[in-house]
Amino acid sequence: MHLPIYEIRSLEHSYGGQPVLSIKHLTVKQAHIVGLIGPNGSGKSTLLRLLGLIERPTHGEIFFNGLRVEPFSDEARFLITLLPQEPFLMKRSVFSNVSYGLKLRGNGRDIVDKANRALSLVGLDSKDFARRPWYALSGGEAQRVALAARLALNPKVLLLDEPTASVDAASAQLIKEVTLRARRELGTTLIVASHDWQWLYEICDEILHLFKGRIFGRGRETIIFGPWQKLGTGIWGKILSDKQQLPVPPPPNQEAAAVIHVLSVSEDRSTIAGEGIVLSGTVSRLSLERKTSQLFATILVGDLPFKVGLDIQQGKEHTLFPGRTVFIRYRLDQIKWI
Amino acid sequence: MDFIFEGFFEAYKLLVSGNAETYSAILATVKVSSGSIACSLLLGIPLGFCLGYFDFSGKKTLRTIVDTLMALPTVFIGLLVYAFITRRGPLGNFGLLFTLPGIGIGQTILALPIVIGLSATAVESMDQKLRITIMSMGANRRQLFLTSLWECRHGILAGAIAAYGRVMTEVGISMMVGGNIKWHTRTITTAIALETNKGQFGMGVALGLVLLAIAFCVNLSVSFLRRRY
Repeated sequence: MHLPIYEIRSLEHSYGGQPVLSIKHLTVKQAHIVGLIGPNGSGKSTLLRLLGLIERPTHGEIFFNGLRVEPFSDEARFLITLLPQEPFLMKRSVFSNVSYGLKLRGNGRDIVDKANRALSLVGLDSKDFARRPWYALSGGEAQRVALAARLALNPKVLLLDEPTASVDAASAQLIKEVTLRARRELGTTLIVASHDWQWLYEICDEILHLFKGRIFGRGRETIIFGPWQKLGTGIWGKILSDKQQLPVPPPPNQEAAAVIHVLSVSEDRSTIAGEGIVLSGTVSRLSLERKTSQLFATILVGDLPFKVGLDIQQGKEHTLFPGRTVFIRYRLDQIKWI
Repeated sequence: MDFIFEGFFEAYKLLVSGNAETYSAILATVKVSSGSIACSLLLGIPLGFCLGYFDFSGKKTLRTIVDTLMALPTVFIGLLVYAFITRRGPLGNFGLLFTLPGIGIGQTILALPIVIGLSATAVESMDQKLRITIMSMGANRRQLFLTSLWECRHGILAGAIAAYGRVMTEVGISMMVGGNIKWHTRTITTAIALETNKGQFGMGVALGLVLLAIAFCVNLSVSFLRRRY
């Protein structure tokens, strides 16, 4: 059996005494794709920086291929690379940026070929771009150059922090394809933080939900954030933008987040099976989940996105398509608070 | 007004004819200021990098001290260096008084806080994402230091030019420590002061023009380097 590529034990990290991340135990398998989902400030970027050996955790240990590692560890620094959320290029030409990591590794002979190949992978013609200075690029081009600089290294682990957040649709598509290609052709382990759930559910072997620095789920949970208001005796909830009420049990505090698991979905309110709260919504996206070969649907209830998994047959029976009005069901006693 | 124009004419003659006294002062200035700026860059850039890059207790106090030292009066430095290298001083045995190396020590003290302070400012204003980028490419500590230094080269270069300008144009240290000895320690600035006192505007203007020309050449080279790199 293969060692996990990463193992985290009793990891805690804080900035200025303020705890931002706390993970008791986590393993990541070789060549897997792991998605990190969570709101801003949930600890996704911090976790990526720790895994990328950019920062040393306040407490706890990180093991890479079974060896304990920390920033500048020779066992790992040439094998792991992180692409931060905002593209950052050094004050030098595109070619120098892409070849920087190769030069650090002493890959003297075929640097030009490798850099040019990496540029073409991200859809940039080296003849046009290699000599350009760092300031003569658009945001999307800069992000692609930054990605090319990482891909040129043939990394064992590629950590991506919101790789498509600041680029246009075409660049986003290209970045998605290229990262998957790295995994397919090189067996690269990918750990991706993104708000694009749909994409993550499509590609990931495992999804980790983070909130306030903790991993609280590994599946298809929907998280609804406070503030909450009292809707009646013992019933709290929210009044949604379409005037529907979203009831929840009494929250531990006004700002708590509710984890809701949608039990079933139907196009007809009268045929929805089982007990619980039923709300109407609109299918906004449908995709195929890679790990389970299930359909993954995002259903907008008011303006809140609920995530639902369905098997393909169910999807056919319900003739789901984006824009279709459907009903979802959940149970109050199954709501968890975080 | 005539004597000013005559001064310019005289300056032209002195420079074109290769007047030995004039060129001796120019050579002394270039030698001593280049040596002292080289020493202050060698010491000041690593110290400035550490001051700007690392967080440690007392950093703010140290920064305030460095910023204050950037405005050190040259006559005060001259006085201190004089006291140390005079025959009765702790470094009297080295025979540095009234020599170019003596002036060099004083000018290094003058330039050092400027190089440290402006290098620290350049490093502090460096984008935090640079460190992440360099480390994520697999750099070790030494490579992180050198690449970070290279990335804030423009700011450090600006500090070096400011320091060079201050060193080249100071009078106090050269006069007190060097003694303004003709053919030996007379620099452009001390020569200008002396010749003006004697009413010899021609040589004063000539040396002033040379100072301007040197400053122009330095800035031209720096601006070329900035475009190139």
